[in-house]
Amino acid sequence: MTDIHTPQSESVAKDEATPSFGENKTEAAGSGIGQTVRPATQPPDANAGWLRWGWRQLTSMRTALILLFLLALGSIPGSVLPQEGSDPSSVQQYFTAHPALAPWLNRLGLFNVFATPWYAAVYLLLFASLVGCVVPRTFRLVGTARTPPPRAPRNLARLPQSSSYSSALSPAAAVDGAAAVLGGQRFRLRRSPADGTEHWVSAEKGYLREVGNLLFHLSLLGVLLSIAAGGLFGYKADKLLVEGQTFSNTVSALDEFHPGRLVSGSDLAPFSLTLNNFTAQYVESGQSTGQPSNFEADVTYASSPGAKPGSYRIRINDPLSVDSLKVYLIGHGYAPEFKVTGANGQVAYQEATPFIPASTSTFLSDGVVKAPDASLGFMGVFVPTALPVNGTLESIFPADDNPAVSLIGYSGNLGMNSALSQSVYQLDTTGMTKISGSPHLMQPGQTWTLPGGKGSITFVGVKQWVSLAITYDPGQVPALVCGILALAGLLISFFVRRRRVFVRAVPAASGTGSVVTVGGLTRSDASGGFEEEFAELATEIAAAEPGGSSFPGETKPMDKS
Amino acid sequence: MFKAKRRTVVTVTGVAAVLVAAALAVTFLTQGNNASANSDNTVEYQAGHRPLAPDFTASSLTGTTIKLSSYLGKTVVLNFWGSWCPPCRDEAPTLAVLAEQYKSQGVAFLGDDVADTPANALAFTQKVGITYPSINDPGYAIVQKFSQVAPVSDTPTTVVIDKTGHVVGMVLGTITYGQMATLLRDAAVTQ
Repeated sequence: MTDIHTPQSESVAKDEATPSFGENKTEAAGSGIGQTVRPATQPPDANAGWLRWGWRQLTSMRTALILLFLLALGSIPGSVLPQEGSDPSSVQQYFTAHPALAPWLNRLGLFNVFATPWYAAVYLLLFASLVGCVVPRTFRLVGTARTPPPRAPRNLARLPQSSSYSSALSPAAAVDGAAAVLGGQRFRLRRSPADGTEHWVSAEKGYLREVGNLLFHLSLLGVLLSIAAGGLFGYKADKLLVEGQTFSNTVSALDEFHPGRLVSGSDLAPFSLTLNNFTAQYVESGQSTGQPSNFEADVTYASSPGAKPGSYRIRINDPLSVDSLKVYLIGHGYAPEFKVTGANGQVAYQEATPFIPASTSTFLSDGVVKAPDASLGFMGVFVPTALPVNGTLESIFPADDNPAVSLIGYSGNLGMNSALSQSVYQLDTTGMTKISGSPHLMQPGQTWTLPGGKGSITFVGVKQWVSLAITYDPGQVPALVCGILALAGLLISFFVRRRRVFVRAVPAASGTGSVVTVGGLTRSDASGGFEEEFAELATEIAAAEPGGSSFPGETKPMDKS
Repeated sequence: MFKAKRRTVVTVTGVAAVLVAAALAVTFLTQGNNASANSDNTVEYQAGHRPLAPDFTASSLTGTTIKLSSYLGKTVVLNFWGSWCPPCRDEAPTLAVLAEQYKSQGVAFLGDDVADTPANALAFTQKVGITYPSINDPGYAIVQKFSQVAPVSDTPTTVVIDKTGHVVGMVLGTITYGQMATLLRDAAVTQ
């Protein structure tokens, strides 16, 4: 897919005798896999041919780019629409707000984009496309890096850079001297056959370019494998935790658990975490009144049962790192604490009950209290800063400055002695009757004695809850390292130029000494400077003649017109 | 010859890539986390291959100390439950009956009350007539201890431990009288 080579010089290519850098015929420009010279769009006539043609299409750069575009396009609904995995309550709100549209979006999987088969299909095809391109290319790059320099062309004067000088030495000795200079400069050398009549040396330098190229491609593969590893062995989970509560990282303790395909419940890191305190601060005046200014969750954690506990303050974008996991703070709300006493006078329920914000600007929240053993249930609206407006309870500020709760009571069978699970945020009132006096407004410390001797409910106080996202992605660090290496490889392949220098010596017409021609070319000269380098090299080769400093002939940059 | 070799390399890598993609596709399209559960949601280890249950010391709902190793010599039925969980409430009367029936056979029942408060849990146990103790485990600490030998993926889950402290098996979800009777019969065969 990725061809970071530049096209060979046309002027060089026209000289058949001149070995160009693009001499490897398998390196078809523009073709991702580049293994055959047949154009990628030509359909073959046999079944096997069709398969090959399909594979070539899949692994072509064009297809990879289209798939990459589709992947980006498919990710847009994932960031625009609320997602089941990260924010299920917002998905519910969306369903309520758009009753006609939401079911259709749901059919397309747009509320859980990254888990939909069509998204996985695009990802897998892209993966196959990239692997199919990168792996053969990597083999080819290894081959290129190991190839010795080609034979020196017959006519060095036709190369982009060339110069010549007269030498007092014999052709063989002159070439030996030049080879010594080039070898001293760490060129890779190839000499003319010792028993032949020709005397030349080919030298090549800049193999680091291929190393960079190779590094880039291997790192690209590394990035892909890291992402795959993250998807297979990583997991994401959500947990709602009320102040004072502890949870241990186990599947049944988590509210949402999205494991990688090769993750089982026993693979979870055995850490535990206690939420000691949560603080939210809001802007108290001006146009942004009520906007959040800071969130902090003070937690105590232990990496395993019995391990020394540590403390941490989790903030937005400042997660807790424990045992290769990251724990992010992604939401918060209020959990009013209630005590419900049944008709028999015994406490049947005492718990801080999480209420879900219906409005994030005022934190007016909804929730239910279920006391099945007192046959009582309550639907409630909690307001952190209460202000009665025309008989309706409103919240004017998100902080709990004047908390109040309005409860609608029900008595009867809550339907909880059933094999079917029930949402803790919903009350099934099918088998219940509404208690008179509802809705009943309460403030902390107040008790509502229910009519008919059904019992009572006390609004004990207010705690806060946080929503934590726990993520484990073993591919994250390798992907970052591979990304950096890929960038380094790319830079190396851009800035290091592969260049070849040839020296050929023929006997002088006078019968003594020789005429030495030096020629050079480079595949790409993005950073410039080969002309100067060649001129210096030619001068050095000439100056290395023992006792002589014959001036090199005119250095001739190739006329590219 | 070189071309033929290169073609082989390309073919092999191509096939390998397709296989990798296919393997990924299979794992993506199938649920990879199949527990070794039977169709009736029970998992049972053969005698001789039973993992050792982790020992623990914890507080009960009424504040007494419960230590699992103090039950050695008895078969233990450990039920992970919560008063907020309808299937747990649904199976509780069955557990209460089983506890009474098997008391004389040296079977001890023990609850592990998760994500709950003692007030809520005791109101329920008293109402349904459960007399065996339950551990107060609001943070799932005991569940986590069992994660390697009896992974509790949901509530309720019921684990049976033999007289030597080894896990006989477990029922994932609501138990039935028959399932428990089978596990308790098999628990009598120790390794």
